[in-house]
Amino acid sequence: MATVHIPTPMREATDGAARVEIEGATVREVVERLEASFPGLGGRLVEDGQIRPGLSAFVDGANVGRRLRTKLQPESELFFVEALGGG
Amino acid sequence: MAVDTRVGQTIKHHDEEYKVIGTRPIRHDGLEKVTGEARYGSDINLPGQLHGKVLRSPHAHARIVSIDTSGAEALDGVRAVITSAAFPDPGDKLTGGGEAPGLPLKFKSANMLARGKVHYHGHAIAAVAAANPHVAAEALKLIDVEYEVLDPVLEVWDAMKPDAPVIIEDLYTAKADGTTAEEASNVAAEMLYEVGDVDAGFAEADLVVDREFTFGVVHQGYIETHNATAHWLKDGHLHVWCSSQGAFTIRQELADLLDHPITKIHVVPMEIGGGFGGKTTAYLEPLAALLSRQTGHPVKMAMDRADVLKATGPTPGGYVRVKLGVTNDGMITAGYANLAFDAGGYPGSVVGAGCRCVFAPYNMPNAKVEGFDVVVNKPKTHAYRAPGATHAEFASETVVDEICRTLDIDPVEFRLKNSAKEGDWQLAMPPYPRIGHIECMEAARDSAQWQTPLETAPGKKRGRGIASGFWFNIGFTSSVTAKLNSDGSVTLLEGSTDIGGTRTSIAMQFAETLGISVEDVDPIVADTDSVGQTDVTGGSRVTFATGLAAHNAANDMKDQIVEGLADLWDVAADSITHADGTFSANGNSATVGEAAGLLEEEGVFPIGKNTVTPTREGGAFAVHIADVEVDDETGKVEVLRYTAVQDAGVAIYPPYVEGQMQGGVVQGVGWALNEEYVYDDDGHLLNASLLDYRMPTALDVPNIETIIVEVPNPGHPYGVRGVGEVPIVPPPAAMANAIHDATGVRMSHLPMSPARVQAALAAEA
Amino acid sequence: MRAIQYAAPSTVEDAVAILAEHGSDARMLAGGTDLIVQVREDARDTGVFVDAKKIPELMDLSVNADGSTTLGAAVPCHQLYNNAQFAASYPAVVDAARIIGSTGIQGRASVGGNLCNSGPAGDTIPPLIVHSAVCNIAGPDGERTVAVEDFCTAPGRNVLADGELLVSLTLPKPPAGSGSHYLRFIPRNEMDIAVVGAGASLVLDGESITAARISLGAVAPTPLFVQAAGDALIGLTANEDSFAVAADIARDAASPIDDMRGTIAHRKQLSYVLTQRALRGARARAQGGSPTNGH
Ligand SMILES: Cc1cc2nc3c(=O)[nH]c(=O)nc-3n(C[C@H](O)[C@H](O)[C@H](O)COP(=O)(O)OP(=O)(O)OC[C@H]3O[C@@H](n4cnc5c(N)ncnc54)[C@H](O)[C@@H]3O)c2cc1C
Repeated sequence: MATVHIPTPMREATDGAARVEIEGATVREVVERLEASFPGLGGRLVEDGQIRPGLSAFVDGANVGRRLRTKLQPESELFFVEALGGG
Repeated sequence: MAVDTRVGQTIKHHDEEYKVIGTRPIRHDGLEKVTGEARYGSDINLPGQLHGKVLRSPHAHARIVSIDTSGAEALDGVRAVITSAAFPDPGDKLTGGGEAPGLPLKFKSANMLARGKVHYHGHAIAAVAAANPHVAAEALKLIDVEYEVLDPVLEVWDAMKPDAPVIIEDLYTAKADGTTAEEASNVAAEMLYEVGDVDAGFAEADLVVDREFTFGVVHQGYIETHNATAHWLKDGHLHVWCSSQGAFTIRQELADLLDHPITKIHVVPMEIGGGFGGKTTAYLEPLAALLSRQTGHPVKMAMDRADVLKATGPTPGGYVRVKLGVTNDGMITAGYANLAFDAGGYPGSVVGAGCRCVFAPYNMPNAKVEGFDVVVNKPKTHAYRAPGATHAEFASETVVDEICRTLDIDPVEFRLKNSAKEGDWQLAMPPYPRIGHIECMEAARDSAQWQTPLETAPGKKRGRGIASGFWFNIGFTSSVTAKLNSDGSVTLLEGSTDIGGTRTSIAMQFAETLGISVEDVDPIVADTDSVGQTDVTGGSRVTFATGLAAHNAANDMKDQIVEGLADLWDVAADSITHADGTFSANGNSATVGEAAGLLEEEGVFPIGKNTVTPTREGGAFAVHIADVEVDDETGKVEVLRYTAVQDAGVAIYPPYVEGQMQGGVVQGVGWALNEEYVYDDDGHLLNASLLDYRMPTALDVPNIETIIVEVPNPGHPYGVRGVGEVPIVPPPAAMANAIHDATGVRMSHLPMSPARVQAALAAEA
Repeated sequence: MRAIQYAAPSTVEDAVAILAEHGSDARMLAGGTDLIVQVREDARDTGVFVDAKKIPELMDLSVNADGSTTLGAAVPCHQLYNNAQFAASYPAVVDAARIIGSTGIQGRASVGGNLCNSGPAGDTIPPLIVHSAVCNIAGPDGERTVAVEDFCTAPGRNVLADGELLVSLTLPKPPAGSGSHYLRFIPRNEMDIAVVGAGASLVLDGESITAARISLGAVAPTPLFVQAAGDALIGLTANEDSFAVAADIARDAASPIDDMRGTIAHRKQLSYVLTQRALRGARARAQGGSPTNGH
């Protein structure tokens, strides 16, 4: 089960839960199941089957951007973070 | 050959020994640059070339009623005049890759040439191509624009009021929860980041300090002004030569804005005279391209200094509130921050990054940060070195200093006690990997400056301040293609515009990996047709990410050499060892140079290549110490002594790291003391010149002492962390804390100009 | 920028004739460090440049029989601080000549150009005023003289009519026991424009002040001659109390504006502080020393 960290403003969809456990071998699978389990949440993190433009996924501390096929370990921690630019 | 240079201190927290990394060779582009042979955008001159100029709005906020270009078109020597009508309709498309993907293209397009409405003083209205720049300038005077002038909104606190004039009539706030507001306003986006329970945290605090800060708009101040030359061939191929931090970004923007196939666009990055985040986006390139298409001639365009200040992308002004709770023994219990930044005339400020940096140096059990991206009648703002972090950490590091004073705790001890470290929670992010804030703080504590009491002088007000800074650093994508020549030298193609000497730091990582000397590598910044995808030189990413691509490309080349030698020597590839640049197996051995010669005879020419999107950038911390003297009669602040400490991971080329640290301090001191856009009530920018936009001169900064701390980044084979941005973060706070130490006055606005310091002193008296 | 004509007359008469022929379309060109910049930036529309540097009277720097000095309008700044006699006699003017721009600029920039540009912040103007300098003007109707304090009329404007030019300045011989000083406040340490400038001259008889002149720059539409501040010092001892009296008057006389270079409150305060500092410097020089508080 991967642990998905839910950004504060979106916790309404998870009944206030800051973390949810989701089964999935890739980021894509987790995202799809996330959407199914918490209707409305998916739409805010994911758009047309893609991670929303401007967001990046972090898997176990690695910034994997919007690469949905990134593999997950059973104990993986998944964050969705706004993408950053630099100067 | 070693360069004889002033050597700063380096403190290593690792045992790695390298042959090339950490040395100080002569930079590959050095001679070209000092002799003037290096080619910049302005050096491009093509047969039949025309010259373009831009007409700019004299108003900050206005509706464009009509534009009559007939007078200009009739002028002898004028070849084309364009307005926003020359751009394809952007519709609802979003911008593609590059710096900030996913923003509505219509905003970017309207920023190139105003579409129906002027959003800021200096907004481009029309562009002219003519036989020479003088005719083009005269032609601008003959373009007749009728404006309906509207009330401008200049500051975020005014733009956020419910009755403020709405600058973009169909802008609906993107809320933090992913929903969209129903009514249009100037707030483009809201964000919210939270960890722990702030209310409970503040309830535990013995002391709560809550302060507000405001900021003027500042410009990156790169010396080379923007320029671009475009040639649109009859078959649709578009060639562009420009001064940009990212040729691939410009290519993408041109493809988006002109709705032109990316394969037909070829962008050549010229040498660049600075960017600091301000040259990450197109301004002139699309105009030159359209004028070239219309005239069939190459068109060259260049901004003057006033254009640059008025109409490129300075970094936001705005508002930051920081509230911190601590226990009497100096442990932080909670933090709250609220940031509202100028986006400028179109959405998209750097407030999100500011939000996430505001408490970054500390382990914060409970924190809540709100951010607002606010459209105002100023130029569309952009990144500037560690975008957003300087504002945010000016506020938080000033509040930390106040807490230390109130509780009578040493500011170094306080920071060490509360410092973020590996495994600590980050705001809305995975926990910190290995970071070096504590190591930097200890190095600052042990530095010559901190250990030397401030000299007092009769009648002089002197003080010392210290502050921390954090910036994320960025990964993105980089490519390297390296060709082994028959003499054993390597031609290395990379796509990162070289701003800080990165050709050499990339070549050094390649040389280290392959086991050759850096003089045997000839690094070349290649154009978009000649090397793989490479994102902007920004986010402190080049030595980290393009360096990683060079390391991987060297390994790729090594594998190919091994394969070739295995064939030649008739041994198994895995029996060949590589050490110190020599390949050996079974009594055979060859250096890289010898191998190149052997393989040439076989018709084998290894090409090492790699495209990489690294995932573990590793953040960077800095700690700065400033000693100042304040003239309490005039409010003028003089920097007496300055030490910059920074975790560089591993410094590939130490003088460049020191140069970045010193350069960041100079810009930070300018921001702290004098730099600021000054507007009148009608929204006219009053100081669009380097006379009145006061950047520091050589006489305004002392020698800046540097201490490089090396806490290797686990996300890079050589431990590299980005170094280019974080050194601009601590200076304003360190200076403000020093001014307080000298005078007892807390400054809450940047810049802390003589007039403001004097006014604060007078108010205190 | 449109095409420009360039004329290089060798006599004042020829220069006057060219200026008279072209009226407001013609301008004198001394060092060009204001004029060329302004024309290139489209801040001034000029069709004819009349070079001042080929006219001997405009390049003259000499001491007259009565001890006064003639300073040709186009003499560049560097000649002033490299001339020991001038530097000893008119130290406040030399203070200004040394801080205009950089060494490179000072090789071209003239005192006459600074005065004729008539900026409120022109650094040489307060020093000329405290040295009681007089403008020697030539024009189609002959020659006339105007005191420097009466020369500027508004930002960028002065008493010169079409066809007139500034030939030279006459600086009276400073009396024994005199000293002068000019300094300005700039937020940076070089290459900046005065937020406020202050010049002062003193004539001392022992510790007692027998004559004093004070002038401020950048606090009014034209450089300000604060006669009352100088007059108030006459008969007083050259000490901090007296200087504070003059500085108070100077602050009251200043009528600055808020702009990108400074605020009213700051400029008022600086008028006070810089007047004090200019007076201290002038006293030090009158007593054979040199100023210690900055430029
Ligand atoms: C980088 C830089 C730094 C500067 N720093 C300073 C500074 O610190 N302080 C300061 O006060 N100024 C400064 N200036 C402005 C300028 O250098 C001075 O005002 C200088 O003294 C002008 O002299 P000039 O000989 O170059 O005048 P010019 O540019 O040749 O002329 C100035 C004006 O006077 C008119 N003029 C010149 N001679 C005559 C004449 N004989 N009769 C009638 N009209 C005449 C011209 O037509 C023109 O309008 C700076 C300029 C630059 C470019």
